[in-house]
Amino acid sequence: MKKILIVEDEKTLALLYEEELSKAGYAVTAVYDADAALEEIAKKTFDLIITDIRMPGKNGIELITQIMGLRKDIPIIINSAYQSYKEDFMTWAADAYVVKSASLDELKLKIKELIGD
Amino acid sequence: MIEKYNLLASDFQRDAPKELMLLSIISQSFFQPFSLEDNLLVILTALTSGSGVGFNRAMLFLKDGDRLRGEMWLGPRTPEEAGYIWEVLSTPGIGYVEIIEHNRALISKNENTLSHRIKSLVFTMDETSCALMPACAACNKEIYLVRDASNDPMVDAKFRELIQVDEFLCIPLIARDEVFGEIILDNAFTRVPISPGDIKLASLCGLIASNYIYSTTLHKRLLDAEKMAAMGEMAMFVTHQLRNPLVTIGGFTDQLLHPDGVPDGRRERNLKIIRDEIQRLENIVYQMGHFLRVSLKEPAYFEPGPVIDSVLESPEVRTKGLGYNLSVKVEPCLPRVLCDPTSFGEILRNLLDNAFDATPPGGTVTLRAYKKNKTSFVLSVRDTGRGISNRDKDQLFRPFFTTKEKGMGLGLPFIKRVMDNCGGQIEIQSRTGRGALFRLIFQSREEGKQP
Repeated sequence: MKKILIVEDEKTLALLYEEELSKAGYAVTAVYDADAALEEIAKKTFDLIITDIRMPGKNGIELITQIMGLRKDIPIIINSAYQSYKEDFMTWAADAYVVKSASLDELKLKIKELIGD
Repeated sequence: MIEKYNLLASDFQRDAPKELMLLSIISQSFFQPFSLEDNLLVILTALTSGSGVGFNRAMLFLKDGDRLRGEMWLGPRTPEEAGYIWEVLSTPGIGYVEIIEHNRALISKNENTLSHRIKSLVFTMDETSCALMPACAACNKEIYLVRDASNDPMVDAKFRELIQVDEFLCIPLIARDEVFGEIILDNAFTRVPISPGDIKLASLCGLIASNYIYSTTLHKRLLDAEKMAAMGEMAMFVTHQLRNPLVTIGGFTDQLLHPDGVPDGRRERNLKIIRDEIQRLENIVYQMGHFLRVSLKEPAYFEPGPVIDSVLESPEVRTKGLGYNLSVKVEPCLPRVLCDPTSFGEILRNLLDNAFDATPPGGTVTLRAYKKNKTSFVLSVRDTGRGISNRDKDQLFRPFFTTKEKGMGLGLPFIKRVMDNCGGQIEIQSRTGRGALFRLIFQSREEGKQP
């Protein structure tokens, strides 16, 4: 089973992702901030990381920069409410950029493209 | 030996060269908080007052898109009025402020006559208009002296009828090669011919006026750009604030509608989440509306004690304060404080709210209210929370900046607005991990004393 780490400060949203992606057949770990994400990455191996950008403490871009320093091989999807972060070239380091939407179809599709079922 | 002089040399001797007088009048007015209209009036004044160039009348057209629009016309309407005005203006000791005051009154008095008449005059800067005076000067960016208007086919007929003189001078207002308008000068009453010297001085005035209009326009564009940037930031923030609850509502609704259904326990949970998120949306909409709408009341002196008490006793503060040590140190004899009492209450509520949010349960929040000295009063809230990083400190008062999961980032900007409005100050002391202290310093006065 492919392992996904979700970094999302909105707890209900994290719960939604956790449930939906589990249903789609992934093993999902959800954390609420960047520091917790870095701790998880140090402990476990993940096949994919999905991160929000605007979060209290370190933001998603800082998180990506740090992950790139640790593990270059893990694909990353940015999942933000803001379209405009796409203009920040640091977000280009991620493998995909999905704007938050009431339907999770696009997110699920991108996950499938990157790591398969 | 070193001598000190004021930046603004106020009164020149009467025998000072009139060029110097003129520049003095104009440059001094730019130091005053006058509006664009008032400063343009100053320039027209300088052109028409006895101590300036001494034209009888000055007319101003401003460029508005591809049109030249009549704005102001300064000068007497009749020779009698001219005599009276020049007598007033040549009174010894009269300064430029008085002259401007006088002219402002004159403009408003003439609103129905001279200025009103010129305001109905608009020239489109097309080929037809540009071939005729006065638009010709602005179109060609040249100064023209018309000597025989009655017989010159190059003068616009409507304009000839309006100005009713044979000799007038057209000065285009140009800065950075851009046309901003035109000034037209004449000696309708004294009938003194316009000399080359007058033209030189008038063109100097035109140059100053154009650069002034140019810098004012730039300043306005800058302000507009800043406003747009703030609007953009707000739009971005609202997008985020609205999108998150919408995603949550959408996602959990989809789960409910899925043909496989959801386990029994989750049904109710999903509905609760959806309801909470809808409440959150409602709150966002309310707060945005509140922040955008709140117009601050005039500050006045009031007793802060009862307001502080009512905030501390309010259900929101009491509920939020559960599980914290709230230490209240309010001096018994407080002075009267300058602020609007409602805003004062909201400020305190905001500060306490932030302090509780930043502090882990069991931590201490300290409220103090005391007289700092004879003229100032301090309201301070200290917490033992996570503190504020140096990076966040710079952004604290920026609307929509927040470190809270569900904050709007409108509390501290509101506090800043209120404090600016009542002439108070805000001091913040904080280090990461060591709590924060917000100290608001208000103007105050002793009980019963008049300011």
